[in-house]
Amino acid sequence: MKLRTSAQLGLFLLLAPILVWLVALIILPHADMFLVSMREKVALRTYEFSVANYTEFFTEPLYWRTFARTAIMSILATILTLLIGFPVAYYIAKMLRGRLKGFLFLLCLVPFWVSELVRTFGWMILLRESGLFSGVLQWTGLADGPVEMLYNDATIMVGLVYTSMLFMVVPLVSTLDSLDDAQVEAGYDLGGNAFTVLRQIIIPHAMPGIVSGCIVVFMLTLGNYLTPVLLGGKDSLWFTAQIYTQFITRFNWELGAAFGFLLLALSSMIIWAGLKITRQTFTETMGEA
Amino acid sequence: MSERVDSESTDTFDLECRNLARQYGHFIAVDNVSFGVPQGDFFSILGPSGCGKTTILRMMAGFDQPTSGDILIKGKSVLDVPPNRRPVNMVFQQLALFPMMTVAENIAYGLVRKGLGKSDIAEKVQSALDRIGLPTSGDKSIKQLSGGQQQRVAIARCLVLEPAALLLDEPLGALDLKLREHMKVELKKMQDQFATTFVYITHDQSEALVMSNHVAVMNEGRFEQIGTPQDLYYHPDTAFVAGFVGDSNRWHGKVESLDKDGVKVVSADGVELLATSAGDAPLVQGGEVDIFVRPESVVLSIDEDRVSTMENRIDGELISILFNGANSRALIRDRRTGGELDVALPQTGEFSSLARGQHVHLGWGMSQAKAFTAKNTTAGGAQ
Repeated sequence: MKLRTSAQLGLFLLLAPILVWLVALIILPHADMFLVSMREKVALRTYEFSVANYTEFFTEPLYWRTFARTAIMSILATILTLLIGFPVAYYIAKMLRGRLKGFLFLLCLVPFWVSELVRTFGWMILLRESGLFSGVLQWTGLADGPVEMLYNDATIMVGLVYTSMLFMVVPLVSTLDSLDDAQVEAGYDLGGNAFTVLRQIIIPHAMPGIVSGCIVVFMLTLGNYLTPVLLGGKDSLWFTAQIYTQFITRFNWELGAAFGFLLLALSSMIIWAGLKITRQTFTETMGEA
Repeated sequence: MSERVDSESTDTFDLECRNLARQYGHFIAVDNVSFGVPQGDFFSILGPSGCGKTTILRMMAGFDQPTSGDILIKGKSVLDVPPNRRPVNMVFQQLALFPMMTVAENIAYGLVRKGLGKSDIAEKVQSALDRIGLPTSGDKSIKQLSGGQQQRVAIARCLVLEPAALLLDEPLGALDLKLREHMKVELKKMQDQFATTFVYITHDQSEALVMSNHVAVMNEGRFEQIGTPQDLYYHPDTAFVAGFVGDSNRWHGKVESLDKDGVKVVSADGVELLATSAGDAPLVQGGEVDIFVRPESVVLSIDEDRVSTMENRIDGELISILFNGANSRALIRDRRTGGELDVALPQTGEFSSLARGQHVHLGWGMSQAKAFTAKNTTAGGAQ
């Protein structure tokens, strides 16, 4: 009996840090945020329970259009990151051996030694009107005057894909690493061509890595603030920027909190749909990658 | 050595290699190897690990390109044909079944790639499943099958494509001993059933001897000898083959005298031995030789008279009996030199009372002892 209570105490002590972390840093703030989102300011320092913040979101086109735009751009960025990251990961995992492999893997990591802010400013230096690319284009005669490459959707996309690449490549490399070369050879040996081997053998094997990479990249992109705002300027219309505006500029915490919850619901829903479509389960994906 | 298995003309070979060589930098993995495999043959390449046998197989499958030489399948050179178009299929060492597909999908994979109709494929898959004794396992996942069953699926997956030859890369290596023994018989049966040419790579001499019609013994990139299992066992061409195929007692010594019947050798520890000359390299007076005697060629007797007529005789004492049913051995120490001999123990019950330290007499005929000119390279694999 004594042994059991001490074992229980040990378990409790071991669990304590994660419980504190969960309750104090995730559950409490979100519960409070939810309460904030469900009230309406009727007079100075007087609040009433209401769903007005949520109805405002659906009645004001700017809000839900920004919302939809953010979701679509994020999905697109995730797909682009996958399309670019897959060959990179395959090359690192399957075509290279030894030190070169480690070196290239490290090369993917290097940009992350610099803060995201500085990296994004780097892009701005390259792409702005008086920047490097513009200068090269003028010098070679391809452009007559200065070219502004910042503040458009394509630039936002480039920035998002660049920022996300590592989070796609890492899980892909680790799943592709575990693919036996003999499987690929068997795929060819039995008459498959490059396309069928990719579709029938490599992609099914890499599926957990693909899904977990996509989930991470999608969540990071959807919640990204710096890249869309800096590269897209005031036209970026990113939903996190809307939340920021409500909290900081408009000082409308109630609406900001409601937006926060809508973003949470949106990301959960899209990931759930993504898992359903690819017939993967969350535990399986996170367990293997 | 570049002898052919049969003296028939080349177009009867399902698979042929001519002066095949593969070099990696300065390392010669395969050195000028030529051989042909006739239709329906079970052909094994036997050699220690690292001898280049897997390289040969991978070149035949198309995963590796020879530095020089030619590979012909059904009389046509396939050097320019990519692996997915070569009419040979490979069973991989770790099988390489596709874990995300069912058993039936694994077998159907190649048929789908060939563009066969759905009903055709279903029919062929079912007939293959029937033949490998897994008629109801089509919908199972690969993980649900036992090691031996997976083995059969891996082979069936290739054989449904009716290849000119099936290449097997030590497929029994991953199985436990009991299953390996069972699969040897099974493989031989499957080969008869599908009537396909098998090229089998192994470092296990008993696999090669039991299953094959012809065996090539390979060492350091070269073929030492090609022949039937009986040929290799009873008439080895080189010291390496004599040492690698089967077990042997071995002496190293110098030729003292030489005539047309045989050779008299004095071993390093002073034993005089009479042997017959074997191998291609002629023996010379005073030359260094290796002598091989099979454990079952040595007659063991408690009574000296039984071995008195034999050319080679040794007085020994029993160190221990290595009991292994029909393959039991007696370990005997030579009383004069202290050297140890491995002797087969006939299971007639005659020797059931042998005790440790007992005085015994050994004898063997001159024709049972084979003398090869010693090379600088030592032959591996002998006991």
